[in-house]
Amino acid sequence: MLEEAVLLAVDEASGGLRATRQHGAAYALVGAVFFDLALARRIDTDTDNIQILDHSPTGSPTLDRVLSAMAQRNDSTSVRDWIEAIYYRREDLEGEALAGLIRQGILRHEKSKRFWVIDVERFPLIDNRPQQDVRLRLAEAILSDTIPDTRDIMLVSIAEPCGLLGYFLTEAQMTSRRERIMTLCKLETISRKVAAAINDLEATLRQGAHRFA
Amino acid sequence: MMQVTEATRNGWRVVTVTGRADHETADALESALRSAVEANSRVAADFSALDYISSVGLRAVVQAARAAQKRGSEFAICGISGMVRKVFEVSGLHQLLQIHGELPC
Repeated sequence: MLEEAVLLAVDEASGGLRATRQHGAAYALVGAVFFDLALARRIDTDTDNIQILDHSPTGSPTLDRVLSAMAQRNDSTSVRDWIEAIYYRREDLEGEALAGLIRQGILRHEKSKRFWVIDVERFPLIDNRPQQDVRLRLAEAILSDTIPDTRDIMLVSIAEPCGLLGYFLTEAQMTSRRERIMTLCKLETISRKVAAAINDLEATLRQGAHRFA
Repeated sequence: MMQVTEATRNGWRVVTVTGRADHETADALESALRSAVEANSRVAADFSALDYISSVGLRAVVQAARAAQKRGSEFAICGISGMVRKVFEVSGLHQLLQIHGELPC
């Protein structure tokens, strides 16, 4: 899920990473880690609390690191506590997902300079089929009235707040299917909690920034 | 702990679920609902004695409903109350699934 979320953000023409909304990427990364751990049956949640079900390795170094760090924090039992902890590690998460996609031969890494000074990183697609596959699955989940697969429900709820749906759906499709998109985004507790917690966190950070300005 | 019992009433296969739908029981729940859906054209999941449902449990119900939709079977959820009702309402599941106050049969 983490790699699929990052892959959706890759601009197929330029290889740039789209950050369409300031904090959208943070939402996607934190949400994707939660969903990966949930799909691997390492955690379960209810309306408020989170529970570690199994500490055994998942096979993903990223997930195992997060799981191990959270397992040591016995005081962190709410979804909000976990979100805060993962939120501050979000840059590592993106880098590790990109490295994974490069290793699989889906992306390549390019570095260049803009105006001879500013470092620019790009990740052009070598194989565009995985990105197409994810886009098709999500388009199907949104444009049809059938009940989607769990994974696709989760991915829609990550892609929407980041503004990534507009890269493969038309404006008219987005408008006509607004209710459906919102329905899918609400289904998962993790999506709702992550969105609310990141909004709170960022409001707190903004208040702090104003205080020191 | 969860218990599942089944009965046929007026053309509906009624799957009654008692206890908790969580990480320990979600696979059994999904399997029971899917088996009912595969063998019957009308299935009602009676959750009136379901006390608790977690995210894993909820996914099991949604995926069983998905299996029913693929087969063209009718799938209704009935009798939710308390914490389970709250989870269903907050998730907006009524927009995706058929939810009844009482059994349709």
